[in-house]
Amino acid sequence: MTAEEILQQIRARFGSEIRTSEVRRGEASVTITGDRNLEICRFIKEELGFEYLNCLSGVDWIGENEMEVAYAISSLRQPGKIILRARIPRNEPVLSSVVPLWGTANWHEREAFDLLGIRFENHPDLRRILLPEDWIGHPLRRDYQDERFVPYPWDDRKPGSVVRPTTA
Amino acid sequence: MTTVNLHLQQVKERTAESMEEMWVNMGPQHPSTHGVLRLLIKLDGEVVRECIPYMGYMHRCHEKIGENRAYVQIIPYTDRLDYLASMYNNWAYCLACERLMGIQIPERAEYLRVLIGELQRIASHLIWLGTFGLDLGNFTLFMWCFREREMILDLFEAVSGQRLNYSFMRIGGLALDVPEGWLGDVKAFLQWFKPRLPEYDRLTTDNIIWQKRIQGVGILTPEDAVSYACSGPMLRGSGIRWDLRKNDPYGIYDRFEFDIPVGTRGDVWDRFWVRRQEMEQSVRIVEQALTEIPPGPVLAPVAKKLRAPVGDIYSRVESPRGELGDYIVADGSEKPYRYKVRAPTFVNLSALPVMLPGYLVADAVAVLGSVDIVLCEVDR
Amino acid sequence: MPQIREELVARFYALFEGWGIPWIVPRLVVMLVVVSIIILFISVSAMFLIWWERKISAHIQARFGPMRVGGWHGWAQSIADGVKLLLKEDIIPTQADRPVFILAPMVVFAAALAAYVVIPFGPGLIVEDLNIGILYVIAISSLTVVGIIMAGWGSNNKYAALGALRSAAQAVSYEVPLVVSLIGPLLLVGSLSTTKIVEAQRYLWFIVLQPLAFLTYFTCAVAETNRLPFDIPEAESELVAGFHVEYSGMRFAIFFLAEYANMFTVCAIATTVFLGGWRGPLLPPWLWFLLKTFFLLFVMIWLRWTLARVRVDQLMNVAWKVLLPLAFANLGITGLLVWVFS
Repeated sequence: MTAEEILQQIRARFGSEIRTSEVRRGEASVTITGDRNLEICRFIKEELGFEYLNCLSGVDWIGENEMEVAYAISSLRQPGKIILRARIPRNEPVLSSVVPLWGTANWHEREAFDLLGIRFENHPDLRRILLPEDWIGHPLRRDYQDERFVPYPWDDRKPGSVVRPTTA
Repeated sequence: MTTVNLHLQQVKERTAESMEEMWVNMGPQHPSTHGVLRLLIKLDGEVVRECIPYMGYMHRCHEKIGENRAYVQIIPYTDRLDYLASMYNNWAYCLACERLMGIQIPERAEYLRVLIGELQRIASHLIWLGTFGLDLGNFTLFMWCFREREMILDLFEAVSGQRLNYSFMRIGGLALDVPEGWLGDVKAFLQWFKPRLPEYDRLTTDNIIWQKRIQGVGILTPEDAVSYACSGPMLRGSGIRWDLRKNDPYGIYDRFEFDIPVGTRGDVWDRFWVRRQEMEQSVRIVEQALTEIPPGPVLAPVAKKLRAPVGDIYSRVESPRGELGDYIVADGSEKPYRYKVRAPTFVNLSALPVMLPGYLVADAVAVLGSVDIVLCEVDR
Repeated sequence: MPQIREELVARFYALFEGWGIPWIVPRLVVMLVVVSIIILFISVSAMFLIWWERKISAHIQARFGPMRVGGWHGWAQSIADGVKLLLKEDIIPTQADRPVFILAPMVVFAAALAAYVVIPFGPGLIVEDLNIGILYVIAISSLTVVGIIMAGWGSNNKYAALGALRSAAQAVSYEVPLVVSLIGPLLLVGSLSTTKIVEAQRYLWFIVLQPLAFLTYFTCAVAETNRLPFDIPEAESELVAGFHVEYSGMRFAIFFLAEYANMFTVCAIATTVFLGGWRGPLLPPWLWFLLKTFFLLFVMIWLRWTLARVRVDQLMNVAWKVLLPLAFANLGITGLLVWVFS
């Protein structure tokens, strides 16, 4: 299945959800709105047969006031790669979890939650994974301040200089 | 914060479940967690019932650092990811940038990358074999493996001046050409190394205690392996013939002849045996590269200030531990807008809670060892 | 030799009797002297063993081992280590069961010490030739387990507790084939006295008559002393250090010393029962005894540095399903042959 065919099938099925779609370096590259990401992923996995989730990474598009979750999906049985980007509003970054489809999404989504504050609905165990449990803020957001400004619960020496980072 | 409290509540409830079962903290300071990993293990006598991994003790937000550095400046940071295979991290990152920017690298650099990459794979598997020996209580194997690894480090020191964090590759090729006579040294090393593998076999493969300890333990079914996106020897141990060097060739791997060893049952033995045979295959690749290597420059003419065109790329290579991917989002500036590392051990480790339950504590150590984790890469 | 010793002791007693001092005093003095000699011997031999093990393991692993302290091949390394351990701060965890924690190393060491009473280093070179010698050794060496369980319990540490439980299970399992394998040679001698056992091997070592018993005994002995491949009570990759995880400094040193003393004991018993004890041409008897014992110790060290560790369930399987039937088969055959030929 070529990248062009993949795109056609996705377009035919989820036309209204798709913002942009193109073939880049032989890979299908799709941007969607976040509402039906689980269904599109299920379609890609079960009907197009791309059963291997390589990577899941969040991106903070602060200029457009949006968050993005990029799924890099491929298959062990056929060539071809898909990069699926789901855009969600930045002030309420909520997305359905794809853990029912791929076990590996569990930790990737926890990491996106940890570092970017993207919440995944129906995730079995959504808590911080790399940062300490009492950490405030999400460091990979573009407006996250230097760690010196993170207010520790026990530190109130310089209340004026403390910039409280956004907490989702 | 609510999720944290909820989780603590859950742990408390689980702890109170029964007096027969005991929660044991394996780590963060434990001899066989290969770094600072903490496993919360529920034991029923000696049997593991449940396992919750905690990590992040070495988290340094590699990705945030990357977002604030120019493309070239990130290379030294990639060394610190999988510090047992730094060359491969360099390669993965440089390859991603080259693909993103459309840079062609010289022929000699391609050959040297393969040559060095495969030597690095041998060194990394040697460390794994040695520490796995420690996990199973065989100390001598550890020292023997380190003896050979030391020679590879000497070779790398000769080319890069470093023994662990090489920063040897550049976007567009290599930092330097190899010194004169170095290829002969590699040949000499292979001559020494090849008879050592049967020697390791006498301590491991041929030993009945070794066999009984790891056969049929920590089984990972092919379905689970794919669902948890395991890669590298983990995936191949479960019987799936998948190696990016063959299935999605990068560099010039399509020019070399080598086999992909696979397991059949997906147990610890299969993962051990796959790595053991991969060392032989790497020797084969290095030998081929040595005969074919052409003269010429090692660095393509690239700009001092590199800018990537707007776009994103997910580029992957087959590191010794599995699929090492770099997801780079470029916004046209000198720095990546978003830079994510898909660490193979992070993903492989996520399959651990599936593999452990039902086996003994001693097996837990063997299973954890067979995943081949490097915590610096897991935590990033 | 024995005559001289008897005479010396008799004169010593007579001296005190002449002064009108009750007999308990010279008796105590003699005991103290003997115990001091044993402790001295244990310390020196254990230190030598530790140094020896480090050198052997180093050479197996393509390195040198200790080379600095003392000049010649680091001969003083163990002494330096011992001094260091003795001078270290004595740490007792706050949550530990103090009396049990403190007593545990003493119990282990006392058990190791007591077993030396019946080891025949040469003709007459024995502390007390008990007529139940072998039985005494077996009984006393089981006491070590009590100390280990005390250590595991007293530390109030999960790893220590697990290690102690493993140790108890292991000792109970391996004691049985160990004893049964020793009965074979005992049937041939008809006595439990260690001296009589050595004397019975004047023409033929029992290893020739009882090879199966020797192999069973030696395997069990390795397990009894918690050495690789049977060192699961202190498997450092699983249980960090097992029962002595909370011990440091002097108390740890005592555990360490007791471990090596136990190794010496089991190998000395193997020498006595199977390798003809002190018997041998040319060299003095005590040297022969030490040579044979240290050869067995070398085998134990060799095993440790080449093999991987077995698993708990495999350990139990080996004890109950392999070693015990073998030991019983050997016992049955020996009994039958003894009955036929006598």
